[in-house]
Amino acid sequence: MSTEEAHVPDAERKKDTISLDRHSPRYRIEFEQLADEFHAKCPVAWNETHGGYWFASGNKELFDVARRADVLSNDNDISGTKRGYVGISIPHVPDPERRTRGGFLEMDPPEQRYYRQALNPYLSPAAVARWKPVVEELTRACLDEVIETGRIDFVDDLANVVPAVLTLAMLGMPLKHWEIYCEPTHASVYTPPDSPDYPRVQQLSLQMGMHMMQTIHEIRANPRPGLINELVTVEINGYRPDDTEILGVVMLLIGGGFDTTTALTAHSLEWLSEHPDQRERLSRERETLLDSATEEFLRFYTPAVGDGRTISQDCEINGTRFKEGERLWLSWAMANRDEKVFPDPHTIHLDRTGNRHSSFGLGIHRCIGSNVARAIFKIMLTAVLDRMPDYVCTPGGAVHYDTTGVINGMKNLPATFTPGRRLGAGLAETIDRMQRICDEQRLAEAVTVRAARAELD
Amino acid sequence: MKVRVDPQICQGHTLCAMIAPDLFALRDEDGHSYAISEDVPAGKEDLAKEAARSCPEQAIQLF
Repeated sequence: MSTEEAHVPDAERKKDTISLDRHSPRYRIEFEQLADEFHAKCPVAWNETHGGYWFASGNKELFDVARRADVLSNDNDISGTKRGYVGISIPHVPDPERRTRGGFLEMDPPEQRYYRQALNPYLSPAAVARWKPVVEELTRACLDEVIETGRIDFVDDLANVVPAVLTLAMLGMPLKHWEIYCEPTHASVYTPPDSPDYPRVQQLSLQMGMHMMQTIHEIRANPRPGLINELVTVEINGYRPDDTEILGVVMLLIGGGFDTTTALTAHSLEWLSEHPDQRERLSRERETLLDSATEEFLRFYTPAVGDGRTISQDCEINGTRFKEGERLWLSWAMANRDEKVFPDPHTIHLDRTGNRHSSFGLGIHRCIGSNVARAIFKIMLTAVLDRMPDYVCTPGGAVHYDTTGVINGMKNLPATFTPGRRLGAGLAETIDRMQRICDEQRLAEAVTVRAARAELD
Repeated sequence: MKVRVDPQICQGHTLCAMIAPDLFALRDEDGHSYAISEDVPAGKEDLAKEAARSCPEQAIQLF
């Protein structure tokens, strides 16, 4: 790069400028029009809101920049000893009490790579396959709780429960503690600081953090298999992480494991209620259609809508000149609606091919729980199709998050259906039984230690 | 037709093995993909192409 090029004025570099508050209702309500407009005019733009940041929405543009770990940083420099970067949230909310970063999602290699290598054997497709009987049984119990009433809230009664219980099981925690984690994990995503409910949610979150710290101490003292035990024994690039760093990692796994899977499941069930012919087809042709339908729901609803990065060195990509220290938003959600890659992008095609969506991110930070999410989603969805084939979501009953700047989620999704018969024990009893099976069979071990699938007695 | 998964680019999205389980396998420890055989069996060329087209990281090379 010549000296002249290096001093291109900001006005020239940022000539494609937009003003979009992703945390406003407008972003959610006008999402499709905005995506079309940006793709046509400014697939990479300078967004003036929230202190200014680059906004990548075009599929090719996002693809070309998102995988450039050589010029991007995820680091959240909480100790102030590195370059002062602020992690993956835009806007960054400075909080003097916040002493943890978002686990390895707010780290760069090599530390980030050590964490993933340590945790992948608990979360790979082979590792997750071992849990399927447990997920099926938890799902069965959730549906049994309501099957005789003909009424369900798909969020409260199913999609919030199964991912939470399974995540705790994989962590190696007591399953019955799922309720301590469920509400604050979801509510802290959708409750803005100016909400009257905010202090209560903050209090719940605080209790959750304290409970998790205690759990980490307990597992350190009395080892039991699972992700937490791995974290308290692992060596990361020559050091052993302290409890605060481990807490950040565990909360990343919980945050990633709960709200996103709930969001995907609720949206998919809502859409299938609105398209009963497609629902019937999916149920009938699930052998061939379930995988592609799952990927299409992932593409269309993109539960984790995007991620922030910091530019770590001056660079030019596809004609955009980025400067070190500038912030960048990777809009997975908008890239998933780019008609250059996805024909008829704003319509769900259950049999879509070539569906290379970026809903789990791209590059070295690909969602580490993607295999868990897919497995739980497919089991919950097919169980609903089998046991509540005629469900109808209550008109006006669905409560979507007011804003979708972080997660495209849902708070409630009530529905009615023709009542059916229970097949087994209720949820509390089933959770106790699954706990015993987890303990006896050491299900939460890494797949490299224990490869056998769970056996229900 | 031959097929290869670039291990430097693959991030374990698993779509290839979903689309063409006869052509791609996933490593137990991290779910990253590899081609079961470099030679695509006769009649499986379209599946190989669809897997390559669907890879979010574009890690699959056909040659």
